[in-house]
Amino acid sequence: MKVTFPYMGPVVGYKKLFELLGFDVVVPPRPTQKTIDLGAKHSPEFACFPFKVLMGSYIEACNMGAEMVVSSGGHGPCRAGFYGEVHERVLHSLGYDVDVVIFDEPFLDFKNFWNSIKKVKQNNSIYKTLKSVLLVYKIIQNMDKYEKIIHRISPYEVKKGSCNKAWRLIQDQYDNVYNRKDLKKANASCQEIIETIEYNQVEEKEKVKIGIIGEIYVVMESSINMEIEKMLNKLGCETERSQYLSGWIDYNMIPGKGQEEKEVLKLGEKYIDIIIGGHAKQTVGHIVDFKEKGFDGIIHLKPFACLPELVTESIIPNISDEIKMPVLTLSLDEQTGTANNSTRVEAFVDMLRRKKVSKHSA
Amino acid sequence: MSKVKIGIPKALLYTYYISFWKPFFKKLGMEVVIPGNTNKQMVDIGVKNSVSEICVPIKVYIGHTLNLLEKNVDYIFVPRFESIRKNRFFCPKFMGLPDMIKHGVKKVKDKLLSCSIKTETDDISDYRNYLSLLNKLDVTEKEVKNAAVYASEKWNKFRSYNKMGYTAVEANQMVEKDVSVKDSKQFEHNSNIKIGLMGYVYNLYDDFISMDITSKLRDMGIDFITFDMMEEKELEESIAHMHKKLFWTFSNKVLGAGYKLFHSDSIDGIIHVTAFGCGPDSFLGKLFELESDKTGVPFMTIRIDEHTGNNHLQTRIEAFIDMLKRKKSNAVS
Repeated sequence: MKVTFPYMGPVVGYKKLFELLGFDVVVPPRPTQKTIDLGAKHSPEFACFPFKVLMGSYIEACNMGAEMVVSSGGHGPCRAGFYGEVHERVLHSLGYDVDVVIFDEPFLDFKNFWNSIKKVKQNNSIYKTLKSVLLVYKIIQNMDKYEKIIHRISPYEVKKGSCNKAWRLIQDQYDNVYNRKDLKKANASCQEIIETIEYNQVEEKEKVKIGIIGEIYVVMESSINMEIEKMLNKLGCETERSQYLSGWIDYNMIPGKGQEEKEVLKLGEKYIDIIIGGHAKQTVGHIVDFKEKGFDGIIHLKPFACLPELVTESIIPNISDEIKMPVLTLSLDEQTGTANNSTRVEAFVDMLRRKKVSKHSA
Repeated sequence: MSKVKIGIPKALLYTYYISFWKPFFKKLGMEVVIPGNTNKQMVDIGVKNSVSEICVPIKVYIGHTLNLLEKNVDYIFVPRFESIRKNRFFCPKFMGLPDMIKHGVKKVKDKLLSCSIKTETDDISDYRNYLSLLNKLDVTEKEVKNAAVYASEKWNKFRSYNKMGYTAVEANQMVEKDVSVKDSKQFEHNSNIKIGLMGYVYNLYDDFISMDITSKLRDMGIDFITFDMMEEKELEESIAHMHKKLFWTFSNKVLGAGYKLFHSDSIDGIIHVTAFGCGPDSFLGKLFELESDKTGVPFMTIRIDEHTGNNHLQTRIEAFIDMLKRKKSNAVS
């Protein structure tokens, strides 16, 4: 059975999981203009941007022979929970004979959840399945750890491009992990890779730190957010995202974990009372959180007409005023010309830098 | 002592629930202030005070709120609709509406009167939903309870008129003026074309944003049915086969109405009125399209926004109706 999945963030993790479970894995190509065009063509006009990218990814994967799409679902009120239903209908209407398996919350419809598990578990024992899941979780956790470091030191690297190279190497390392022993080895060599990156020590007052917040897909998937982190790193800024895959897993899948996200939610309470879907409440919480961590500015990414993020966007000017935190909101859609947005980002960074300099020279 | 003035924006779910809210606040001894119908000025103010990408119904709502501010009301009632069905929600913009108004339209902040509405049926009269208003309005729990019971009766009357085939606007007027039901409607059965008019109450019944589509159809002698004219149970039954339903109660209602009509012989075509950038409708519309392909029932989407050119709508509706008529006469001959 050839299986595929959404392309979001470092895909090594998902690939690994299905490999360990004995599937033939079709890794969808990294989204390109072609993917986006294909997706936009077959999606409802006003569906959100991630929906369209995924649509394109799935079609490309189906053309490569995928027979099963596995993704996560949800129960609203954000549209993302309904993606699978519409994707499946569109794929079928295009004539692809593909099974769309969606993992929903187990408590609402356990039978359905169990069916999904069975489809993915195949003939593996529950023990082996859990073991594979755990290994992949560890891989993802470690990769996230290193990615954070990379984006923190990348602006100060001595040899241009050494951080990018290191990140590629790290991904390759984890791609070859099949058991716990491999994992240990990979961890050790990745640690070494990270430690050998040369970078200049910069005084705290000269650093510009930018937090990237917003809707999870556009925050995590660099191919569709103009590689915002790289762009900022090149402009000499440290970056940190609000979302990492391991954080998402902690909060959504492991009972008792995800304490960090819960605290962020608490910070958002003042501005958005209840959870209104998507990551709206987290987004406002993260603004406060990044402020407390001493960041200089925030870039807020959202897909065009994203429901929860529109609520956030309406509230942001007020938060920004209240806690004195500059925020730049960028709306992303299938128009991929970057000149406009990169000008805005550059201007934003210039402003932050000037602000910092004048603060310290005064 | 003059009465406390409560402003209720004539937007979003106003048409569906005003027959409850108005008697409710009146019974509590307040004066209810309602802005006039949406007009160009209100929309312009709304557009100026909201995020550019947001859908027009929200812009209209914000326009109404600011209009009420000029009317010197003491409070503006902005309920937070969380859920009126188990495990079903509202569009995030409804759920975050008070937050959006509070932080986005700062002038309104001190006058904001809000409560969370959580029930399991369309009837939102459970007094416990309104207990958070006690302090601000200086009323007792018992008064709220009584007012809710009284208003609930009115609202149920509204629903029963609505389900007889009167539009929600007409039904509200009938409740307000306390007129008895005429046995049959004058407009019924004088047309051989009947269409399903799908869309939310705040799009269909706002004469400004829908460019008065209901009157346009009536003037052309076209009979139509909307989701609010149908029994809630019917609507739910017609989507019972879906293994995963939409997350938004009113979208589910429209979907249910649509699915039912696509498979009914009593209508000739379906028009879906939706707002530019409406998230739930992006999926709902696709489901309708797929259903139309399957059943062969003519289907047209009308997308509305803050632009006000009227003629294109007239032309499109006329063309659609002409097509339905021709199709029908061809089928007969």
